[in-house]
Amino acid sequence: MSDNLLKQIWEKRSLIVILAINDVKLRYRKSVLGFLWSFLEPLLMLAVLYFVFTNVIKNNIQNYPLYLLLGLIMWYMVQRSTLMGQSSLLERAGIIQKVYFRREIIVISSCLTALIMMGFEFLAFSFFIVVFHFVPPVTIVLLPLLLIDLFIFTLGISLFLSVLTVYFRDLKFIWQILLQMGFFVTPIIYKLDMFPEYIRNILQLNPIVPILDTAHGLVLYGSLPTLKETLYIIASTAIIFIIGYLVFRIKSKRIIEEL
Amino acid sequence: MENEYSIIVKNVTKSFRIYHEKRNSVYEYLTSIFDRQKTYEKLTVLKDISFSVKKGEMLGIVGFNGNGKTTLLKIIGNIYSPDEGTVVTNGKLTPFLELGTGFNGELTARDNIIIYGVILGFTKKQIKEKIEEIAKFAELEKFLDTKLKNFSTGMNARLAFSTAIQVNPDILLVDEILSVGDILFQEKSFDTFMKFRKSGKTIVYVSHYIDQVQHLCDKVLWLHEGTIREYGEPKKVVEAYRQFAESKEK
Repeated sequence: MSDNLLKQIWEKRSLIVILAINDVKLRYRKSVLGFLWSFLEPLLMLAVLYFVFTNVIKNNIQNYPLYLLLGLIMWYMVQRSTLMGQSSLLERAGIIQKVYFRREIIVISSCLTALIMMGFEFLAFSFFIVVFHFVPPVTIVLLPLLLIDLFIFTLGISLFLSVLTVYFRDLKFIWQILLQMGFFVTPIIYKLDMFPEYIRNILQLNPIVPILDTAHGLVLYGSLPTLKETLYIIASTAIIFIIGYLVFRIKSKRIIEEL
Repeated sequence: MENEYSIIVKNVTKSFRIYHEKRNSVYEYLTSIFDRQKTYEKLTVLKDISFSVKKGEMLGIVGFNGNGKTTLLKIIGNIYSPDEGTVVTNGKLTPFLELGTGFNGELTARDNIIIYGVILGFTKKQIKEKIEEIAKFAELEKFLDTKLKNFSTGMNARLAFSTAIQVNPDILLVDEILSVGDILFQEKSFDTFMKFRKSGKTIVYVSHYIDQVQHLCDKVLWLHEGTIREYGEPKKVVEAYRQFAESKEK
């Protein structure tokens, strides 16, 4: 049953890739600055945050600009992937009302669009590494594994949200607000150990926290995640993905009529 | 035995929810928990439909608007799932329900051909090899790199049709698409359609051109208010349908 699903999705890989690539094309073409925008957006955000958190509020994080940029890039991935995934079924209603293929494909391709955009931002990141004369530790080679995990994680959320958003259109706004809150309870602009332990323990329940922590460790400080952290990352991704997938399976039966 | 048939439709029933007041927000859902009124009515569009289409056969479907023709096609094409009953199809199926699905005005004709082709089941490589041929058939060679938003409706339709006929399915579901473009293009598309027919494809054809249906199809099915009113010999069914329509007019 499930390898049948994988087979069907593999057969449609052309479709997934082409929808994603054209999405990226359109996204960049619509803005005046085009492709440059993908560098400018995190850059401007970085400049503002960097100014505030080095001049107004002091912090003692090593390599702060890179710390900040890495967190931002990965947070943008979570944000874009889930937002685009969430509205993907509604946006592509025209296609899925007329041709049959696994509906999951639409959501996967939206998350892939976000993944491609993150790829461009990592290009910008490597440019910064050079500018700051930073020599990344060898643990950086493990980063792609973590990004794959992040992709599956956001895909799980997107599957869940996309199908429910067909029934409840205002979920879009609710999710946007949750994301805004998420930005501040995730260690992007700060480090988790700035907090007393009891707050830290609560914040750490957020499955994105260990993912970001691990990314910072791998890319900037040459440290590997603890076994506990690794297991938590894998388990939370698996659980979210499975829930998302099951909800999608159950709820997607009637969506064509509800679009 | 089973292999003799391309499409087997068995006891298919399909109903839609017609909402009185559509509740599609979380807020409305929460308030409706306390207010347990039924908010939708069930409208049964197809009632216990059974028929089968042999390999290489062409089935015409006629009937008034809103009597379930398109719904039936969509169920055969796996786009809607039936409430009850089963649909079995043997072979690769392509629905021609509406042409130009997935076209995007901001992209060039070339990009759009690729997207549409891939949606219809080609790989990217296969469709790329066919771009020239498609443009030639559509008589749009000069406009391949023009953005689609600058195309006229007719050009758009020609491009869509030319791409769609590149597919090589075993079963075609056709919903009123032979009326695209000017007379010359219509003739051309009709010829192509006949080629499909001659090469032994199974075709389900929905149309209001009942003369055409009568001449082309092997069997005709008349859907009336969600049930099969008549089924069989084209001449007989179309005649009955015509008489029924005329009696309604009076």
